[in-house]
Amino acid sequence: MIKENCKLAIISIKANKMRAFLTMLGIIIGVCAVIAIMTVGNSMTADVKKQLESYGVQNITVYMNPIDYNAELSEADYQAMALKPETLHKLSEKFDGRISAISVEAQAGSGTVIKDSNKANVDINGVSAGYFKANNIKLINGNTFTEFDYSQGKNTAIVSNKFVEQLYGENFKPENLLGNEIEVNVNDEYMHLTVIGIYEFKQEGSMMRGNNKNISTTMYIPLKNAWNFTHDELIFDATVVAAEGEDAAALSTEIKEYLTTLLSSSLGDKFMVDAYSNQSMIEENTKTMNQMTMAISMIAAIALIVGGIGVMNIMTVSITERTREIGTRKALGAPDSMVMLQFISEAIIICLIGGVIGIVLGLVLGNVAVHFMGYTPHISFASIYLSVGFSMAIGVFFGYSPAKHAANMNPIDALRYE
Amino acid sequence: MSNDILLQARDIKKSYYVGTPNELEILHGIDLDIKRGEFVSIVGQSGSGKSTLMNILGILDRQTSGKYILDGVDISKAPNKALSSLRNKHIGFVFQTYNLIARTDAIANVEMPMLYAGISEKKRRARAIELLEMVGMGERMHHTPDELSGGQKQRVAIARAMANDPDIILADEPTGALDSKTGRLVMDIFHELHEKQGKTIVLITHSNELAAETPRIITISDGNIISEKINDKEGVA
Repeated sequence: MIKENCKLAIISIKANKMRAFLTMLGIIIGVCAVIAIMTVGNSMTADVKKQLESYGVQNITVYMNPIDYNAELSEADYQAMALKPETLHKLSEKFDGRISAISVEAQAGSGTVIKDSNKANVDINGVSAGYFKANNIKLINGNTFTEFDYSQGKNTAIVSNKFVEQLYGENFKPENLLGNEIEVNVNDEYMHLTVIGIYEFKQEGSMMRGNNKNISTTMYIPLKNAWNFTHDELIFDATVVAAEGEDAAALSTEIKEYLTTLLSSSLGDKFMVDAYSNQSMIEENTKTMNQMTMAISMIAAIALIVGGIGVMNIMTVSITERTREIGTRKALGAPDSMVMLQFISEAIIICLIGGVIGIVLGLVLGNVAVHFMGYTPHISFASIYLSVGFSMAIGVFFGYSPAKHAANMNPIDALRYE
Repeated sequence: MSNDILLQARDIKKSYYVGTPNELEILHGIDLDIKRGEFVSIVGQSGSGKSTLMNILGILDRQTSGKYILDGVDISKAPNKALSSLRNKHIGFVFQTYNLIARTDAIANVEMPMLYAGISEKKRRARAIELLEMVGMGERMHHTPDELSGGQKQRVAIARAMANDPDIILADEPTGALDSKTGRLVMDIFHELHEKQGKTIVLITHSNELAAETPRIITISDGNIISEKINDKEGVA
């Protein structure tokens, strides 16, 4: 029976191809929009999640906050909010074994390095010993800074292989730069640094992917060196890396409690300690992104509903047009249920064909958009199942009332209809 | 020819606009018995009520009052749902305007009543082929109605009416839209069905000439049966 009804529906759709297509168009656009948005949303979420995870799922960020967010902060307040090196030292002693590294960084500004006609832009970042572990940066050549470098603020630097390529071209072996001195121009102040290590540059996918050739890479120098350069030694946040197997979220709570007690005198009732794990941030972020995707998809779903009304409209017209046919079928003994099934099948098939076309177009559109935005495509199969189900439901929902009308026709009235 | 009564109508009245000031009674109380195996014609001018009577006999419409028993089933008491099954299994319709399903080939049209009867695809197909060959349409089984002439369409319609081997065939002006030659062909098929298969046939027509071919002629005028005649000399088949 279902097979027969599908056959009848396909015959009827074939007989009115243009009209069926126009009807489908609403469904196609609706499904296409939902799928495209969900594809983009999922790709963004997955990419951002991956990016955050690359910063280390075990990382816990520790900082101080004014309790009143809107408070005007004085210079003294900033001093009070800064983390002292001895505080971090006590922290590492207290949680010895549960923390694998503590990382602190300070921006020392942006500069340029010129070699012959080549130029490379760098963002200079002063880092502490735990930085490379916390940020999962692997060196491909040379070594990280020594204890001596850190403590003395020695003029050493770690640069990216991209930086080497920008200055010396593709054929230059990065390790040949090790031990050489480079001159960095930071707002016409010059830093003379010896390159001791080279890390692998990773292009971060983002919407604002700049010109690849002139992209600015990060150059690392010892924290103390950066402080010397900027004459500013305040630490506003530190990254604590929880040891492997340690629950970062739980540890972050413990750290917060410990520091709140430790620093109670300087915190007063004006400041508070905050510690959050990257893991919980990733989760929160994913949740927010998913909610956003859902919200936008809901708006796109309005197009689907409008499409559904189009289907209802066409089914009503189609049934009026075929009133005599319905009369004939009833005269031949078609039960009401069969007449209804026939027209509902027709609505469902129109919606399903539209749904499938919409899915294909949506995937293409979504992937093209994702490609141009610089994310990795991430197809949401759930959205595909959902769309197929949803378009079928639309067929049933909006096909029901016209089909019911057809089924309830009095056979003789239908037969006599002109 | 057996003597059992297939169709029994008692004091059938049909009114339109019931309960309004312009209530209009079309049938004023029809009494009619048709026996199994009869070939009856109902003759009348247009507006005489013969089509209304046919619609009631064919259970396409319900009478306003009176009793109608088809093959032992009291139609006035049957629920709507049962009516479609009665039409499907007991009645075969042949309409003046053929009423074939558009864009659907002859064989699928003939299969349709069997589809609604729940007969398997294989059996349906075999029966449809058999019927189309019987009416001489074996060659054009896969043509759609718009590729067929009027006479061919009517022959397909007769094959369709026969699909579920109904007790009775109701033909409403079956030759009305055909020229005399093809009309003759269609009438011959009815005679054949009556004589060779013993089908009960009710032919509704305005033509006395066609009615004269049938063994029993009922004349209807202004909603009443005004005469009934048994034809001794059967048609000129």
